[in-house]
Amino acid sequence: MTNKFDPGKLDPKKVAQLLTQSTRQLDDATLSALGNARQNAMKKQLVRAPFFAPTPASLHTSAGWTARLLPHSAQPWIAAGLLAVLLGIGAGYWQHLEEQQIDELDVAILTDELPIEVFVD
Amino acid sequence: MQNYLATIFLLLGLTGVSHSAAAQPWSSLTPTQREALTPLVQQWDTLPEPQQQRLLETAKRYPHLTPEQKERYHGRLETWSQLTPEQRKAAREKYRAFKKVPKKQREQVKEMVKEEQARKAQQSASGVPAAK
Repeated sequence: MTNKFDPGKLDPKKVAQLLTQSTRQLDDATLSALGNARQNAMKKQLVRAPFFAPTPASLHTSAGWTARLLPHSAQPWIAAGLLAVLLGIGAGYWQHLEEQQIDELDVAILTDELPIEVFVD
Repeated sequence: MQNYLATIFLLLGLTGVSHSAAAQPWSSLTPTQREALTPLVQQWDTLPEPQQQRLLETAKRYPHLTPEQKERYHGRLETWSQLTPEQRKAAREKYRAFKKVPKKQREQVKEMVKEEQARKAQQSASGVPAAK
């Protein structure tokens, strides 16, 4: 006998046909039991929604409206813009502090008890 | 990713991280500013804009100075304005470093400087050239 079972040569279409034919041959009670088992398995399966996908409830909130109004491709640009604004505010604040420090030093040098020549080469 | 980074830098430029302002003529200064910067009345309009801005910032503190400090401020403004930006930066660094010296040693330095000034004043009064 050379007719050995080879899983690599299985044709998915033929398998599907065979399964359909086999299912037709099943009695109603078995089909009903299989149907119930499938339903129970589906109920136990967790539904995982995409993180940024709007839910029906969120469509009534501002975030939902944003998601509907803005094209999906624009959202990374908006995030980049917000990040740039935050970075700009941070850099501006840092620069402001540095300038304030320079002003304080200038006034201190101009008014210190020690003459300006002590600090100037 | 490179596009996002380019956008961030572009927007950073637009948000005005570095601000610039136009030079202010003497005639546009307020009376308080003019009072503080009186010694610079002749050269004010020729000063570069960043230097004007810096001086205007120091002038904001002028009303809060003691009479003695105001006198020193006025007496040093001209010398200060004639320094190069590098010299001013070096002076700030020196001052900052001096402030980190323990108070006792700072007082000693002040005493030494006062003695030196008194000696120079005495020499100039008696017509003897000051030794360097």
